[in-house]
Amino acid sequence: MGRQLLTDFELMILLAALRLEGDAYGVRIARQIEEVGRRRVLLGAVYAALERLEANGLVSSTLGNPTSERGGRARRHFTVTPRGLRAVRDTRDAFVALWQGVPQLEERSS
Amino acid sequence: MTTRHPPRFALAVLDRLLPGSSPLAGDLTEEFERGRSRAWFWWQVLAALGVAAIRRRDEIRPLRLVDLQPVEAQERSRRMLLHFDAVPLTGTNLPGVGGLTVVALAVLVTLLAPIVWVAFVGSMLAGVALGLFFIARERRHS
Repeated sequence: MGRQLLTDFELMILLAALRLEGDAYGVRIARQIEEVGRRRVLLGAVYAALERLEANGLVSSTLGNPTSERGGRARRHFTVTPRGLRAVRDTRDAFVALWQGVPQLEERSS
Repeated sequence: MTTRHPPRFALAVLDRLLPGSSPLAGDLTEEFERGRSRAWFWWQVLAALGVAAIRRRDEIRPLRLVDLQPVEAQERSRRMLLHFDAVPLTGTNLPGVGGLTVVALAVLVTLLAPIVWVAFVGSMLAGVALGLFFIARERRHS
């Protein structure tokens, strides 16, 4: 089976979900990307990407219990599947390979 | 202590226009409880609708005549990584009433009481005429 490479946004979402270790749901993933990845994101875009990743088997999801602080709505928790983990590694390898041998990126002006 | 309530209309718009968005609505409510503004809430709702509209435009959506598909067919679609939305031919929103039901009803009406169509088309034309009248009156006043 061929390598599955991710877009930068999908990669960020999967990395955020991995960092959150089992407590990954929409708004926490978005916060993680904003705080650690320093990129502003829309919740709707995060959910759209998560749906796409789930359809491709890169994440799986389960519904939690509804809570009053969420207006009686349940959280949808996302877990990165082994296939998703492989896609993250493949994407990282592709980026690293492209990164190497570019003189402009090797020296950093002080 | 006063409790903040998220914009109800925004939640209703989200529920109505974006089926299956309950987790997103819950997340927005949770963030609102943490101190986000009403403007932020509305912006997220409108952006979510925009993102969904763009996705829907790019999707392949074969026509489907009934609301429910056999579980096996859904599972097969899922395995093939296909995501199909229902597109009722008639646009009916009544649960359990698909395109064929409405077509059958129309055929029955045509056979048994064709005069009903005259009343139907007549009331539609009357509605259009009334709308045009109000538009013309509004333009005259502005």
